[in-house]
Amino acid sequence: MSAPSTENLSRNAPFAWIGRFRRWEASGVLVALLVLFIALSFATPAFLSQYNLSVVARQASFVGLIALGQTLVLLIGGIDLSVGAAAALSAIFGSLLLTQTGIHPYAVLPITAAFGFGLGCINGFFVAVLRLNPFIVTLASWEIFAGATLVITKGYPIRPLGEQFRVFGQGTIAGIPVPVVIFIAAGAILTYLLARTRFGRNIYAVGGNRDAAELVGIRAWRVEFIVFGLAGMFAALAGILYASRMDSGQPSVGEGWLMGAITAAIIGGTSLKGGQGTIVGTIFGALLMAVLANGIVLMNVSGYWERVIIGIVVLVAILVDLMRRR
Amino acid sequence: MTIAASISPAIPLFEARGISKAYGVVQALSDVSLKVQAGEVHAVVGENGAGKSTLMNIICGKVSPDSGTMYRDGAQVSFKSASDAQAASIAIAPQEINLVPRLSVVENILLGAQERGVFGQIDWKKTRARALRHLQEIDDTIDPDAPAESLSKAQQQLVQIARAAATSARILIFDEPTAALTDRETNRLFAFIRKFRAAGNAIFYVSHRLDEILELSQTITVLRDGVLVAELNPHEATKDDLVRHMAGRQVDAIVRDRATTNIGQPVLTVTGLSRPGEFRDISFELRSGEILGIAGLIGSGRTELGKCLFGVTASSKGQVEVFGEKANIRHPADAIARGMVYLPEERKQEGLFPLLSITENACISTFGRFRGLLGLRFSDMVREVETYVDSLKIKIGQQHDPITSLSGGNQQKVILARWLMRDSKILILDEPTRGIDVNAKGEIQAVLRKLVTEGLSIIYISSELQEVIDVSYRILVMHEGALKGIVQAEEATQEDLLALAMS
Repeated sequence: MSAPSTENLSRNAPFAWIGRFRRWEASGVLVALLVLFIALSFATPAFLSQYNLSVVARQASFVGLIALGQTLVLLIGGIDLSVGAAAALSAIFGSLLLTQTGIHPYAVLPITAAFGFGLGCINGFFVAVLRLNPFIVTLASWEIFAGATLVITKGYPIRPLGEQFRVFGQGTIAGIPVPVVIFIAAGAILTYLLARTRFGRNIYAVGGNRDAAELVGIRAWRVEFIVFGLAGMFAALAGILYASRMDSGQPSVGEGWLMGAITAAIIGGTSLKGGQGTIVGTIFGALLMAVLANGIVLMNVSGYWERVIIGIVVLVAILVDLMRRR
Repeated sequence: MTIAASISPAIPLFEARGISKAYGVVQALSDVSLKVQAGEVHAVVGENGAGKSTLMNIICGKVSPDSGTMYRDGAQVSFKSASDAQAASIAIAPQEINLVPRLSVVENILLGAQERGVFGQIDWKKTRARALRHLQEIDDTIDPDAPAESLSKAQQQLVQIARAAATSARILIFDEPTAALTDRETNRLFAFIRKFRAAGNAIFYVSHRLDEILELSQTITVLRDGVLVAELNPHEATKDDLVRHMAGRQVDAIVRDRATTNIGQPVLTVTGLSRPGEFRDISFELRSGEILGIAGLIGSGRTELGKCLFGVTASSKGQVEVFGEKANIRHPADAIARGMVYLPEERKQEGLFPLLSITENACISTFGRFRGLLGLRFSDMVREVETYVDSLKIKIGQQHDPITSLSGGNQQKVILARWLMRDSKILILDEPTRGIDVNAKGEIQAVLRKLVTEGLSIIYISSELQEVIDVSYRILVMHEGALKGIVQAEEATQEDLLALAMS
């Protein structure tokens, strides 16, 4: 994203906002989301029901949280393949913490998030400090996290987690599901962080040109290390919220979240090369995918079509991006 | 009308008529026409941003013009890609290196044009022989089996030239071919160019080195702001004529003003600094208010020394004192914290953030200053940058435009502003005027002179000896990693420096 600027060359020109909107990375996904939303509203009355919308939004928020962290990693020019497995391992950690110790259920969330941050820092150590390839490092840690989850649980879910803890996954605040509130709040914080803080701008600098970033005195490894830690933290949040929703810490949670997260970021205009992308785009991307999946169910289309359609959406998204650049 | 054109045969080897090209609101070229006859070297000169590269990229098919027509041997052609142009036997040796780093020199030269055997497989013996023939015409000291990444910048440039020649083109485009070359390599290249042209081929030659152009070319086209302002005959034109047409006004002769009264205490003391394979046992002092030149040929270790001082690489031995304090600099951030900054030689790879705006490129190292209650205050940044846009005469559209929308000279000024904003005390400048036009060069040097009178100290690394002599007070000469001497610039001549640098 470009920095918010106070002056705009085209402010006085009429319809200048159209040009600015077109240059915005997230414009394509927003238009697609609106079109789909309106189309489904007309096609099936069930879509606009409060119950359905809250299901869709909650669905979007689990993958969406992971996608937020993934967006940060993609912005520094990396990739984190271990997020789904980190989500599962963190969910198991949090569930064990809850069931095996007398800890207050409300403390589980922050402790699990910290645990996830620690998992991410393992990736960060290898990628940022030892300068190893992030694809390979996180491919390995994906296996390790997933394997560790199975070693601990032997494949069995941990349940029940208790009435008090279920509020995170099943409760609502002002009618809005708690995971959605957390997702939107995290998105808002990250948007601010990226646009308005030195750390955020350093993320764009390191992702856009690492050599130059080092030469202006940015310690690139610190930025990268923290970003991987954050990716682990968001994965842990998604995992433990999902466990709360299911009232069960399941070893299989997070399978399929990795690709969903990367897809949401890419549909939202984040570049795999680093240095380019927005949190808002990723949020729209996650929503678009959830609405699509929901629409397929409501329209009585076979669920098997979902992946075909999402694949097509990704291709269309990068084509739109290509045309915008030209 | 030039002499060359009036006595030449009717049909030019290549002709372009009325070429125009706009990028957004910037008119890169408007209605430019030029032609080249068989046996002619046609030089194209102009300041940075004058449209030379755009014109060359249009001729070699990399860029499509908005309007205009092109003719090859009198027949109209239009190129959709570089391979279309190659089919019309037009090839370019670009300024930027784009070799495949891991492949050998031989493979790079004939990439995609390898000799084939009966089954369509690559015939390596024939391919190699052909590549060698082309390589040796340009330079016979390059190891044909070495991977491209192991070559020096100059050698890579030469391999690119060999690659262009190997396309059996009749029209070659050279974009700043000699920027990184030594004199020996340059002479060799000129011999090739003369031979190539004598064989009835033609060359478009883009360069900032006006002496070279006067020596080599038969026609000189001068571009300014995308417009063809003059077509000159090198036998009649002088360097001053060229500069006048390029700049559109008389450029003041460089004032060699070295008021040395301001020079004060040492700010940087280097003792016995070594880094294996790069430089050894370097000792010198930089004093406040001084411009210290570092001269040396390619491979002398000048850039490596600059980077080591800035903390990009670690020294193995020796000591560095900044403002009288022993400094253990392990990262650029350490040097910056002590007021010592570095402007890299490779502007594009190491200096610019291509995806960020001009404002952010300028403020990237000073974000801490713009922190407010609600985060970074971009409006303050814009205001601050505006003062540097004025004082350094940076030509920009809007501050939120990407930095890549600027010409090289203006990009360099933005990077300079980045460091001046920090109130840096010691500037290490590595080839600060490389690839920058005469006017911007003069402006940058004037700024540097002003800065030292305000008490800053500058280390000025350059391969252009005359430039070092003009700018510096003292000059440190290096050769193959060793310090060969420190001379007073006032008494120095290019010959003196060269003698030291080659000893």
